[in-house]
Amino acid sequence: MLRRGAMGFGGVALQALMADSASGAIVNPLAPKVPHFPAKARNVIFLYMDGGPSQVDTFDYKPLLKKYNGQDPREVIGKLAPTQFDNVGKVLEAQWDFKQRGESGNWVSDLFPHLAQSEVIDELAFVKSMTSKFSEHTFANYFLHTGSAFQGRPSMGAWTGYGLGTENQNLPGFVVLNGGLIPPGGLDCFGSGFLPASYQGSVFLPKAEPIANIHRQEKTAEEQIRKLDLLRELDGGAVREAYPDPQIEAAIQNYETAFRMQTAVPDLMDLRGESDAVKKLYGLDADFENTKTFGLQCLLARRLVERGVRFIELTCPSGNGDRWDQHKNLVDGHDKNCKTVDQPIAGLITDLKRQGLLDSTLVVWAGEFGRTPFAQGGDGRDHNPFGFTIWMAGAGIKGGACVGETDEFGYKAVRDRYEIHDLHATMLHLLGIEHTQSTFRFSGRDMRLTDVHGHLIDGVLA
Amino acid sequence: MIDFTLHRASAILAVMCLFGAAELRGDDLEFFEKKIRPVLAEKCYKCHAADSEKLKGGLQVDHREHLLAGGETGAAIVPGDIEQSLLIESIRYHNEDLQMPPKEKLSEEVVKDFENWVTAGAPWPEEPVPERDGEAAGESFDLKQRFEEHWSWRPVEKPELPQVTQSDWPRSDLDRFILKRVEDAGLEPAEEADRQTWLRRVYFDIIGLPPTQEQQTAFLNDTSEGAREAVVDELLASPHFGEKWARHWMDLVRYAETYGHEFDYPIANAYRYRDYLIRAFNADVPYNDFIIEHIAGDLLEKPRRNPENEVNESVQGTGFWYFHEATHAPTDVLGNEADIMDNQIDVFGKTFLGLTVACARCHDHKFDAISTADYYALTSYLHGSARQEVPLDPGRMREKTRSKLSALKEKADALIDPEVTSPEKVAPIRDGETVYESFSDGKIPAGWSTSGVAFSGTGSKPGIRFSAGDSVSAPGKVDSGLYGEKQVGILRSPTFTIESEFIHLLVRGRAKEIRVIIDNYQMARFSGLLFNGTVRKNLDTEGEYNWITMRSELAKYGGHKAYLEFSDAGNGSLIIDEIRFSSSKDAPELPLTGSQSALPAAAIKLVKEGLELEAALPKPEFAVAMAQGTPESAHVYVRGSHNSPGKEVPGRFLEALGGETGDRLFFANKVADPDNPLTSRVIVNRVWHYLFGRGLVASVDDFGPMGTAPTHPELLDFLASEFVEKGWSIKTLVREIVLSSTYRQSSELNPDVSPGYFAGVDPDNLLLSKMPVKRLPGEAIRDSILAVSGELDARLSGPSVPTYKTRFMTGRGGKKSGPLDGDGRRSVYGAVYRNFLSPFMLTFDVPGPFGPKGRRSVSNVPAQALVLMNDPFVVEQSRKWAEKLDQSKADHSEVIRRIFLSALGRDPRESEREHLEQFLKSEVEGGATKVDALADLVHVVMNMKEFIFIH
Repeated sequence: MLRRGAMGFGGVALQALMADSASGAIVNPLAPKVPHFPAKARNVIFLYMDGGPSQVDTFDYKPLLKKYNGQDPREVIGKLAPTQFDNVGKVLEAQWDFKQRGESGNWVSDLFPHLAQSEVIDELAFVKSMTSKFSEHTFANYFLHTGSAFQGRPSMGAWTGYGLGTENQNLPGFVVLNGGLIPPGGLDCFGSGFLPASYQGSVFLPKAEPIANIHRQEKTAEEQIRKLDLLRELDGGAVREAYPDPQIEAAIQNYETAFRMQTAVPDLMDLRGESDAVKKLYGLDADFENTKTFGLQCLLARRLVERGVRFIELTCPSGNGDRWDQHKNLVDGHDKNCKTVDQPIAGLITDLKRQGLLDSTLVVWAGEFGRTPFAQGGDGRDHNPFGFTIWMAGAGIKGGACVGETDEFGYKAVRDRYEIHDLHATMLHLLGIEHTQSTFRFSGRDMRLTDVHGHLIDGVLA
Repeated sequence: MIDFTLHRASAILAVMCLFGAAELRGDDLEFFEKKIRPVLAEKCYKCHAADSEKLKGGLQVDHREHLLAGGETGAAIVPGDIEQSLLIESIRYHNEDLQMPPKEKLSEEVVKDFENWVTAGAPWPEEPVPERDGEAAGESFDLKQRFEEHWSWRPVEKPELPQVTQSDWPRSDLDRFILKRVEDAGLEPAEEADRQTWLRRVYFDIIGLPPTQEQQTAFLNDTSEGAREAVVDELLASPHFGEKWARHWMDLVRYAETYGHEFDYPIANAYRYRDYLIRAFNADVPYNDFIIEHIAGDLLEKPRRNPENEVNESVQGTGFWYFHEATHAPTDVLGNEADIMDNQIDVFGKTFLGLTVACARCHDHKFDAISTADYYALTSYLHGSARQEVPLDPGRMREKTRSKLSALKEKADALIDPEVTSPEKVAPIRDGETVYESFSDGKIPAGWSTSGVAFSGTGSKPGIRFSAGDSVSAPGKVDSGLYGEKQVGILRSPTFTIESEFIHLLVRGRAKEIRVIIDNYQMARFSGLLFNGTVRKNLDTEGEYNWITMRSELAKYGGHKAYLEFSDAGNGSLIIDEIRFSSSKDAPELPLTGSQSALPAAAIKLVKEGLELEAALPKPEFAVAMAQGTPESAHVYVRGSHNSPGKEVPGRFLEALGGETGDRLFFANKVADPDNPLTSRVIVNRVWHYLFGRGLVASVDDFGPMGTAPTHPELLDFLASEFVEKGWSIKTLVREIVLSSTYRQSSELNPDVSPGYFAGVDPDNLLLSKMPVKRLPGEAIRDSILAVSGELDARLSGPSVPTYKTRFMTGRGGKKSGPLDGDGRRSVYGAVYRNFLSPFMLTFDVPGPFGPKGRRSVSNVPAQALVLMNDPFVVEQSRKWAEKLDQSKADHSEVIRRIFLSALGRDPRESEREHLEQFLKSEVEGGATKVDALADLVHVVMNMKEFIFIH
């Protein structure tokens, strides 16, 4: 009964599909495309810090906050913009000590002991003058992910797939490794919007069944293969000859790909080949459960990069207070959030470097906005889109750089102010895409990730 | 006084002369040249000078004249007045929407210099005014020219029928237009599709379901002349027609049952709109009426009523305005309103007119004859409207009960001595307090509006009210219980501008909700964040008059527009005595209310009689709808910024289409006017798109210059004219098309046409010399699976079935999971939770509900194969089908035939039958039970491309 063999289902080589697609008979929207100009980055890992980390407690050192700690910010700072919770407290100094680190001398608070190691910190380039247009999570999340505050627009990962395709046809081109928290705004942060559905982000859970429908429902692989062989007979019969149709050909090919995904995806999740030292590097042996979860996500991110997946986004694990969104209990929440991501991210940078992948992988760390330098109530901070810190590392990035500045309170960007569109333009640029030329006609307009905006953040480019 | 004003005016004149170009003092000049001009040149000229590559915001800062004239947001400087000078505002960096230079704040010192300079009158040396070259001639917006140049603005003209060679081919006049082009291109129409193929095609296209074996047999056995007509008429009369066509419309109006954003709050009663659509398509409501119902169904004097239960159908059409997303706690509520309106106008413009009106929000349309004023004229209608949960009244029970009770009340009131109640005393009015409304004449005041039948004025004399134990009505109030406690209704105040911190309401009784609605913001009922105290739910004053205090947060919302809304959902009643705006958070004193004497026995008897009548009222039902608010002329938001209000524009239709002003109903009639060149073209093109997979205008939602030109302009106009002539009937149009020779074609090229020639002249089959192959929409795929497995529950309408939640569907606002098989209901009845959309539907391109989507994408991805291979729903249905087949006594060959007829609408070919029989045999030999083998077999058939691709 076993009919698996060279001619059995799943035996068709991947090259065959690609050859067909090159001939134009089948349009494969995910086939690799030639960039506008030689790319620095082949892959992107986007570390999404859901909720908005506090810049003044992490990387944006503002000694003046100490001086005015406990005073009325309206008197010290001046007129304040409306805040989300409208509960303005006193000026609140950084809750952790800062030191200059590495050769670059960039400031890092005690929240990030692993990132602060000189071999890691000097890979990072900081933008301390990032701004967003929105104070609410969902608007700001859509804006960060899609360049628009409206729900239902393509995510940056989808735009990347649209511009470049992907290199592994057995895995999606845009993978979201979900640590447990889907950001406010939901899965639409990772959608393909008006772009074809094949570009949408596939949400993988760091678990044995990472995506839906990836496991066969048949009792044995042989049973499934027998069925798929029968299917191929039926699909390939008289009907196909009578009605040759490219979309039906493509649909038939999709079964080959789907079948191979059933193997490729579990293979991705199988960590038996990873050494204990590597697992330790990522914190998979940590005491804190969320460090392990995020460590696994970071390790999977590297494995996805190795497999040619174009755009990988990581979301945060749950249980650290409310994401990075510390409207109260700042110390406890930020402590846990940093403990969750610090070692795994440092491990990721180190590991990518060792594997020679950092040169071709762009790593971006960003929240949707920052937090206020004054308290919300007593021990929290409210949303602050007017000036916050993000960093980038890896492909095409000038490690150790630091651009932009907020005012002396860390409240608003005042020098080299950048906005999310500029981050997008820079990311696309490193991928070899000219952001003004990557367009899609929708709703009577040539739409772009950067809308009508976007300037390169020159200072972080190598 | 007059003297003083004159003095001041001349003083200003004097200052202006002093610092005018002619009389500049030396040190001023030096200050300007040293401190001001260099900064302007270095920081601003790149974008704001005569030689800037692109002038931003229409503003030049390279001459005082230009600064005074200003840009799009108005004058950049007002000499002598730094607070009125936008230039100063922008460099101070306090206004988030107006910060210059954009990248970097100028130092405090420089800002101070500019302030001093403006205070000193903004002196500038005499020099020529630099002007940009050819600007005026260049890109100016010429609405008339654009109107004249673009095809879709031309009137619809019914063309002559073209002459064709194969005069026996056309069955319908529309065929002549198709054939003419086919013949001109040297092509031949395809042969007629076989009857089985055509039957499967019309079933899916008209009702979205496959034909059953019995339906196939009946058709194939009917050899009469009119067999196809009979099938089509039967399908058009089927209630499933409405289910299929309503879903198309739901794509346009971004139908959803939650608001999305952080917590995905519910849009209560959304499904009523879906059911309204299904009924409307089934009833073949003339499309022009359908449009009017959508835009202004609440304003119709004689609304269309449901023939069965007399419910007002028309008002429910207006629900479409409110399927927008919404967030709770926006820090900028006016901006939030502007964004929602943008979405509403986008949906309106594309859906009805095929116009990208929303592109004119920030600037005049870049390509089309639509101005920013046109856009904001439409917002006037939205500003002047209110969202409501309109009470429905099946059987007009509430209305009839009210009129019966009204007659009883008249009798009873006559029995009451007007002097029975003692006079009332008003509570003293305090400082900072005004009486907004005291209802003293006992009528609903002018400008106030109601929905439902509950609220009415208590008149000027005491009377009865139908409330057990509380049956005396005092004059000079508004009461929702005059005609019974179970009546439902809404009372809305006119729009007012918030000028005080607190609103005190003197009320008695119970209400479902009392709200202060600020800038049409509706979400405070879900979260009080930033809107604390603007909503009061389930109020109960326990039978006593009491002051209820609402907050309007003067600090945040002072100057914003608001109105009050009182909702009685039929659980008790509310009496409203007085409303005060106040600076005091403490309630005013409780006034002395009149004492009540006992009613005469005859009146009590009448009250009892009325209460018995009222007891029969059913549970109330509601739908989402629009209501008339206080008419308003909207401001143009300069460059799209709500912080920069410009000139006022009253509600009016697009200037290119006449631009006449009028109320919303007038406007609706303009959209539905046969002389409007867009409306009829857009809808016939949509119907064509749904039947052929491609519109005559491919960009079905965009008939503007950025859209695609029609492939068959004469046919488009022919169809549009006929459509209007034949009474705007969608069913008539569908019938005409599906019975045409064009639609009857096979999806195979005519054997007489060489594929090479075809590929040369019409590779995309735009001329329709064969029928395009279409992939079924996601809903039809799922519905087919249920239909063939015998698990389809064909019931119509009702609340939605919650989405089955996989473990990948996490996030905030999660709902309870529904059943895996969606209760076997058709997909149109599946819930649409914005943040938890069905993965099955998304995989097959069912659009997310965010904006109008007349043309779905048709993707072709491995995830679709994974769904059909491994999704537990598909596997479960295969098994259920197999279990039914297993009961049959028929042999394998017959079972296989039945499977094919159900799933594919045709008999198996000999080779197929052999393969399948062999499969069954070897599976059973290999140890599988027959039902297992059958389950595998039907699962394979559901995975056949022919199952989801229609020829």
